[in-house]
Amino acid sequence: MSKPMIEACGIDKTFTLRRDGRLVEHRALKTVSADLHEGEILGIVGESGSGKTTLSRIMIGIDTASKGEILFHGDRVATRREWRDLRRHVQYVFQDPFTALCPTMRIGKALAEPLAIHGIGSREERPARVARMLEMVGLHPDMAGRLPSQLSGGQRQRVNLARALMSEPKVLICDEIVSGLDVSVQAQVLALLLDLQKRLGLSLIFISHDLRVIRYLCDRVLVMYLGEIVEQGRTDEVFAAPKHDYTRRLLAAIPDRDRPAHHSPIDEALK
Amino acid sequence: MTAMRQALLDVAELSVAFPGRNGPIRAVDGVSFRLEPGESLVIAGESGSGKSMLCRALMNIQPGAASVTATRMDWQGRALGALSPRDWRALRGGQMAMIFQDPAAALNPLLSVGRQIMDVVNAHRACSRAQARSRAIEVLGLAGLPEPEARLASYPSQLSGGMRQRVAIALALAAAPKLIIADEATTNLDVSIQAQIVALLKRLQRELGLGLIFVTHDLDLAAEVGGRLMVMYAGQPVETGPVQTVLKDPCHPYTRGLLRSAPTLHSSRETPLQPIPGQTPKPGAVGAGAPFRSRCPVSVEGVCDVRRAPWSEAGPGHRVACNRFALDGRGGLP
Ligand SMILES: Nc1ncnc2c1ncn2[C@@H]1O[C@H](COP(=O)(O)OP(=O)(O)OP(=O)(O)O)[C@@H](O)[C@H]1O
Ligand SMILES: Nc1ncnc2c1ncn2[C@@H]1O[C@H](COP(=O)(O)OP(=O)(O)OP(=O)(O)O)[C@@H](O)[C@H]1O
Ligand SMILES: [Mg+2]
Ligand SMILES: [Mg+2]
Repeated sequence: MSKPMIEACGIDKTFTLRRDGRLVEHRALKTVSADLHEGEILGIVGESGSGKTTLSRIMIGIDTASKGEILFHGDRVATRREWRDLRRHVQYVFQDPFTALCPTMRIGKALAEPLAIHGIGSREERPARVARMLEMVGLHPDMAGRLPSQLSGGQRQRVNLARALMSEPKVLICDEIVSGLDVSVQAQVLALLLDLQKRLGLSLIFISHDLRVIRYLCDRVLVMYLGEIVEQGRTDEVFAAPKHDYTRRLLAAIPDRDRPAHHSPIDEALK
Repeated sequence: MTAMRQALLDVAELSVAFPGRNGPIRAVDGVSFRLEPGESLVIAGESGSGKSMLCRALMNIQPGAASVTATRMDWQGRALGALSPRDWRALRGGQMAMIFQDPAAALNPLLSVGRQIMDVVNAHRACSRAQARSRAIEVLGLAGLPEPEARLASYPSQLSGGMRQRVAIALALAAAPKLIIADEATTNLDVSIQAQIVALLKRLQRELGLGLIFVTHDLDLAAEVGGRLMVMYAGQPVETGPVQTVLKDPCHPYTRGLLRSAPTLHSSRETPLQPIPGQTPKPGAVGAGAPFRSRCPVSVEGVCDVRRAPWSEAGPGHRVACNRFALDGRGGLP
C-alpha cells in the first residue's frame, strides 16, 4: 500500500461540560491513532457520539487535539503555515447540510466562488463548470439560480458536495453525506467518488452509519465506540469476520427487508 | 363491512405550489391518504420529490411563498383549514408533532436541551417544574440518549449530530402526541440506536394508537417500519400499497429503478450500483404528462407525454399510477 498521507498519533480530545452546576471533563477521544493513505477510501463507522466527527475535524486542523499530533506526509504539522499547507489540499463536507451554506448566496455563486479563490479556469468558463458539476451530483443546472432555503435536504447536501469538489481537492472528508439521498442519486454520487479516486487519486474519509454503503465504497474501515477505535482493517475482512463485539452488534442491526420479521433487530429491541 | 374508524388524518388531492417564472411549480402534486390511529404511512422517493413539503403542509408550516390546496384535509373529522392560529398552536407539538429532517431547525442553539423540552411539556400540559424536568429526562432516555439527566444542561452545539437528532425525537415525544411525522428522523443514528427508535415508535403505535408518518430513503428500514408505503417522484405519488408488497412486487418503473439501485450487504464494486439513467426533470417542467416519462424504459408514445397516469389496482390495497400499467396490467413486464 502507498505511504500514509495524513496520520493522527495518540489523539486525545477532552470537552468540559457543566453538570449540576459543576464543570466535568468529557473525554471524547481516548488516545486514538489513525492514518489516511494516498488514493484510498477510508470509512469510519460507529456509535453515534463516539467521536467520528471530532476525529476527522482534528485530522485536518478544524479542531485542535487536547493531546497527540498530526503528521502530513510524515512531518509533524504544528505551525499555522503548516496547517495552511495541509488544508489547501483538503475539503470537508459537513454532516449538517442546512447550516453549511451561506443563506443569502445563490447556488451558482457559491459553487463558482472556490474557482475564483483558487484561480481555476477563466471567468467565462465558470458558469459552464458550475452547470457540469451540478449535473454530476444529479441536480438540474437551473438550480444555480436558487437560494439554499429553496432546496430540499438532499439537494442541499449535494450542493455542499459539489462545492467541495469545485476546488479539486486531493483529500475529501465526507461526514454523513449520502444518508439524505434517494438510493438512485446515492448510486450516482458513489460512482462519482469512485471515479475521482480512480482518475485523480483522490483520498477520501467517508463517515457513515450506512454499513451497506461503507462496505460497497471503502477500501478500509475504522469502527469507533465510546471514543476509541475498537476495530480496523480491510472492509471485506471486517465485514466477513468482525472481531469486536460492538462491530458484530452493528452488523446484526442493519435493516434488511429479506430478513424474517421475528429476526429483525427491531423485534429484538421490542422484547 | 364494518364502519371505518375515525381517521387521524384524511387528506385528498393535497398540492403545494411555489410561484415560478412560467406559472406555479408544484412541489407536491395531488397526494391523498387516510391514516387511522396505530397505522403508519412510510414515504420514500426521489430527493426533491416533495416529501418534506408534504409533511410541512400537514403541520401548516410551509414556507411563506408556498400555497397549499386540497379538496380535503381533516384532522379527526375537523377541517384543518378552519382552525384558528390558537387551535393550531394547541394541535402542533401537542397532538401532532414533527421530527424535522434538519434538527437545527427544531432546536434553539441558545437554550439548553433540558429547557427546550421542558418548554414543550409546559406548553401542552399543566405541570410543575419538577414534573416537566422528569418528563424531559424520561423522553431523552426513550430517544436513546445516554445519561439523559447529565445532558439536560448541554447546548445543541455540544452534541454530536446523532445526539441532536435524538433530542429532536425527544421534543416530538414530549407532549405524547397522537401523530408523529418523522422526516428522515434517524439518518444520523447508528443502526442499533435506529432500531431502538423504530421499536419505540412501534410500541407507542401498538399500546397508545400513535399514528406515524415516516419519511425515509432506506427501503429496508421502510420494510421494518411496516404499514403502507407511498413512493413519490417529482411531487407526485406514483405507487402505494403495503410496504412488503410494494418492495416485493414493484409495479411503477420508478419504484423498480429505485430498488435496483439500492445497495445491499452483498453489493460490491465489481458489479457497480446502477443509478436510474437520465436526469430529474427541470423544476416545473413536468406539465401534463407522466412525471417519469423522460427516464422511463416502458413509456408509451403519444400517451405518457400528454396524459397523467390514472391509478390502477395492482393487488389488494396496492395501486400504481402508470400509463403502461393501465394499458397492459403489468407495467411492461413480460
Ligand atoms: N463542542 C463540544 N462541546 C462539548 N462536547 C462536544 C462538543 N463537540 C462534540 N462533543 C462531544 O464529543 C462526543 C463525540 O462527538 P462527535 O460529534 O465526534 O460524535 P460522532 O461520532 O460524529 O457522532 P454522530 O454519529 O452522532 O455524528 C460526543 O459525546 C459529543 O457530545
Ligand atoms: N422555497 C422554495 N421555493 C421553490 N422551490 C422550493 C422551495 N423549497 C423547496 N423547493 C423545492 O420543492 C421540492 C420539494 O422539496 P422537499 O424538501 O419537499 O423535497 P424532499 O422530497 O423532502 O427531498 P429530500 O429527500 O432531498 O429531503 C424540491 O424540488 C425543492 O427544490
Ligand atoms: Mg458526527
Ligand atoms: Mg426532505
